[in-house]
Amino acid sequence: MTEQKKYGPAGGVLASGDGGQAVRADGVVDGVRRARRGVGRAGPGRQPQRAPLRKHPVFGSRTRTLLAFVLPSAVLLLLINLYPVAYAFVQSLKDGSLIAPGHFVGLHNYASVLTDPRFWGAARFTLVFTLVGVFGSWLAGLGLALLLRTRVPARGAFKVLLLLPWVVPVVVSATSWNWLVATPQSPIPTLLRHLGFGDVLFLASPLLAQVTVCVFKVWISFPFMMMMMSSALASVDASVYEAAKVDGAGPWQTFRLITMPMISRTTFVSWILMTIFCVNDFPTVYLLTGGGPVGSTRTLVVLAYQTVFQEFQTGTGVAIAFLMTFVLVAISVVLYRQIRKVNIE
Amino acid sequence: MTTDAMSLTRRGFLGVLGAAGLAAGLAACGIGQSKDSKTLKFWNMPDGGPAFEPLDRKITLAYSPASGLPKASYQQIQWASFIQTFATAIVSNTGPAVSGGGGTQAFQFAEQGAIAYADDLLESWKSNGLYDDFLPGLLETMKTPDGYVAVPYNLDIRSVWYNKELLEKAGVEPPTDWQSYLDVAAALKKIGVYGFVASGNANGGDGFQAIVSLMINNGGGIFDEEQRPNLLTQANIEALDFVAENISKGYMDPASISYTTTNTNSQWQSGRFGLGIDVPGLAANVAGATSQQLVVGDPLTSAAGKQGALYFPNNIMMYKDTPSQKGSEDFLTYYYKHMAPLWTQKTGIGLPVLKSIVASKEFRSDPNQVKLIEKWQPICRTWAAPGSNSLFAGAALVDSTPAMSSFGQNVLSGRPAKECLSTLQRSLTDQLHK
Repeated sequence: MTEQKKYGPAGGVLASGDGGQAVRADGVVDGVRRARRGVGRAGPGRQPQRAPLRKHPVFGSRTRTLLAFVLPSAVLLLLINLYPVAYAFVQSLKDGSLIAPGHFVGLHNYASVLTDPRFWGAARFTLVFTLVGVFGSWLAGLGLALLLRTRVPARGAFKVLLLLPWVVPVVVSATSWNWLVATPQSPIPTLLRHLGFGDVLFLASPLLAQVTVCVFKVWISFPFMMMMMSSALASVDASVYEAAKVDGAGPWQTFRLITMPMISRTTFVSWILMTIFCVNDFPTVYLLTGGGPVGSTRTLVVLAYQTVFQEFQTGTGVAIAFLMTFVLVAISVVLYRQIRKVNIE
Repeated sequence: MTTDAMSLTRRGFLGVLGAAGLAAGLAACGIGQSKDSKTLKFWNMPDGGPAFEPLDRKITLAYSPASGLPKASYQQIQWASFIQTFATAIVSNTGPAVSGGGGTQAFQFAEQGAIAYADDLLESWKSNGLYDDFLPGLLETMKTPDGYVAVPYNLDIRSVWYNKELLEKAGVEPPTDWQSYLDVAAALKKIGVYGFVASGNANGGDGFQAIVSLMINNGGGIFDEEQRPNLLTQANIEALDFVAENISKGYMDPASISYTTTNTNSQWQSGRFGLGIDVPGLAANVAGATSQQLVVGDPLTSAAGKQGALYFPNNIMMYKDTPSQKGSEDFLTYYYKHMAPLWTQKTGIGLPVLKSIVASKEFRSDPNQVKLIEKWQPICRTWAAPGSNSLFAGAALVDSTPAMSSFGQNVLSGRPAKECLSTLQRSLTDQLHK
């Protein structure tokens, strides 16, 4: 095996000055690496054999058949994905309305959007909403996933109940939250008033409305994160934890140095997905506050909707959506690179 | 390889797949479709309560056209995303021949060349009495330099409402001018009731309409004679100062800025709201015993000594894409002659536009509705005020748009009048130039 040479001497996640402990730490690290690649130790397998040289036509009958099978999917993908995107991009270069295609205006719509303070206000809140949505729901989901691994009574029932915020339609959740917080006589403001906090106007104060919308997003998203993290945690080999325990690792060390690296791939994937969910999330904001008060909870997707369907400026609205997409793609690429790094390590 | 008769070869499978794809493509392109030239599509909005749609459908389907003219079909279109529904249908030539819709929809679509003007229809109504049956000033609201874009259908007014039981409890008489309004609100505050109502939510709130109604009340409004935004006027500043005084003196529920109309209705119902500007259907929207206590107030005389309010003449429009223009006009003539039961059977539709319906015994049994027509409608103005009474395509910029929601929220959050008006002026001017 060339593995030790390839990766060098183990840093020893639990290594200390004691040589014996260092050896045990090497064992743990090896266990972690093995678990990441699959628990079984890989055998040498069959030596790859050089295929006999044969002349193949560029498109043999098998290739043509395979291409023919791929073709319908490729055509569908082009029709469903590429055509609307290309058409939307053309729209973003025109000054059309909902029923008129409009005239070509070049990049005027993009310039107009980038100089509009509303766009930057919406971009700022989208950033905050996304950061809180991704990391808030991840922390809550991970915490609950870890909790549900312990011997909690009626664990199955809890899992089902905790999934409800994700399962219940957002329209219903938003109506419920509106009932909970909208008026001074709503249950939560009433409770806070009895506790001596005075009249707390959750949706009327710009700052509190932002907080409420972000908390609402975390509330409807954490079950998804909980499921992702639960499946990731379930895939971690129990023997790694046993080895860490034998090596004297405490709960925090085990979580930080064993659990987190082992679930990092799923974590990055869930961050990417949740980032996309948050940036593109229309109903959460629109149903609860409509982007108000005074535009404080307006996200880019709400701004794009309002621009197209309430101000009837198709080109400008689509330009906002495109700028949003560019940023989203950039973030996704960065996070995908992190996943690749995790794979290589 | 052997195959039996029922098995599918790889090539056959691909052929079937290709044919299915081609069929789907052709269907999407509309090739092979034949437009049913025998049916005239009427799309109407859910303008009333649950009883509205069945009766409206019944009236529509009972239409028996003259020989050679198309029959009518009926489709209800929900208010949610209605403008997308209409726009998509119109550009794909699958839209209605006749429809209800948003108050400024006909003006927008007329500008895009999709509307069939109603001049010939209205001319024909001069001989059958329908033309003269419209309430004064209503037809004028639909008139543009190119013709009448639509026909008024029902009305929505922003008027003063009060809870008579709460006013009695507070020991005050209903207000008649702005000063007495403040006095009544002060008396209501003493018994823990709010006297200035607004639904400020950006999605599902109409607080900005109440504010514009007060601007019109004081002789102001949004557009000048040349249909350009002109907001920084003394009349508008005084109106916003009046709103600000209500807010600063604690007459408005501080959570109003985020209220949807549903929230506001629940506050009326629970007796926390005693006085405010609201919609004609308020008493019907507020369930329980409170609805019996709600009364339409008299028009207020403003600081400038004027009266006025904002109203929305909802309308029915005809489209150029019709199986028969004569058929569209014939159907509308039939519909307007037979639509009275929508009011006399109290389906919850907005206020009537025809004097004959207003005169009916059934309509006059509701004193609130009668007061709205007799005392408020004559002083009402459209979004086009104070410049004109006729609506126009540019008025769509203020017809429940984000700019107006922001304006309403700015005012309700207590920002200075000039700042609120300047922001709206800038926003509307920018949009008009785009």
